Amino acid sequence: MVRVPLWTVVAVVMATSGCAAAINVSSHRGPNQDWSGYHTFAWAPADALPTSDPRLDDNLVFTDRMHGTVAAGLADRGWSPASTGASDVLIHYHANVTTRLNVAHIDQAYGSCPGAACPEGFAEYEAGTIVLDFVDARTQRLIWRGWAQTNLDELLSDSDRMARTIKQAVTRMLDSLPAPTPAGRTR
Amino acid sequence: MTAISRSCLAAGCAAAIALSACATVEVNSYRGPRGLDAPSRTYDWGLSAVQPTGDPRLDNNEFFEQHLRAAVERELARRGWRKSDEPAVLVHVHTSVVEDIRFVGVDTAAGVCADCKPEVYDSGTLLIDIVSPDDDRLIWRGWARDNVSNLVDNQKWLDGAVDKAVTRIFAKWPSTF
Repeated sequence: MVRVPLWTVVAVVMATSGCAAAINVSSHRGPNQDWSGYHTFAWAPADALPTSDPRLDDNLVFTDRMHGTVAAGLADRGWSPASTGASDVLIHYHANVTTRLNVAHIDQAYGSCPGAACPEGFAEYEAGTIVLDFVDARTQRLIWRGWAQTNLDELLSDSDRMARTIKQAVTRMLDSLPAPTPAGRTR
Repeated sequence: MTAISRSCLAAGCAAAIALSACATVEVNSYRGPRGLDAPSRTYDWGLSAVQPTGDPRLDNNEFFEQHLRAAVERELARRGWRKSDEPAVLVHVHTSVVEDIRFVGVDTAAGVCADCKPEVYDSGTLLIDIVSPDDDRLIWRGWARDNVSNLVDNQKWLDGAVDKAVTRIFAKWPSTF
């Protein structure tokens, strides 16, 4: 068997993934929620909570990208936008950026010391969180919340990378969304 | 590895994490300088402004807030308190999450630090205030603080941690005010 050095594998993975940071995705939902009546969606106004980053405040490009990606992802899953009248679900998203710390073997990453002998240090990074809320339009109650978190790593300065990351994050979030029952059928 | 052994391993990890979370929880309380003027055991929820918790996953999170309120109401009911439109006290709850650093491997009793490693974690504080409805005077405050790094992403673990924290906070509840 040919043994491939670990660093070669890491380098290949990073190159093919475009050095994409890992995205942590999860969700909360209400107990015993009946999803059979939800088929259409509309966008609700954003909440009043701060993004903590002026680059995201009133950023129409980011908002447009989010709306488009979520709408496409929902269409793939059988949802449709409410064309006229009331929608079944109101959606709003919230974006947040927080500076966080990470314990890192910084010198090890640059190859200047071996493994466990490397001193540990703290590295600051910007953690971005996108929260997606689905609210029952009739009761105004939250029925599902999904979120994705990742290391932004200059993401906001690179629109192509931002678009790819939003797509990946939204797709993974929506994967945990219960599927709507097609109109006219019961579960 | 079979599917069964994998699921057993996952269950073991979950139990270990849950147990370790229990071991580190810090709980305390204090009473205000003046007691309760109207000692009837009635309460209502106080109005609270929407405040960022420090964790966007928990901000305006109805599921979390409902579970927390239900846990508090359960503990109050156990102690003979009932909800009323003319309450003797108002209840406020607040959750805060901040990033913190600790050193793993420190033997605090012996003052030894062998192979200490720094660890960044999310410190969550759950705070329950009992205040007078007339003048917002604090009558009692109880709180619990714990490492919540891996809890928020798992709704079941988070709910369980809230239940345990609220139960332990109310263990400090005084027999009389």
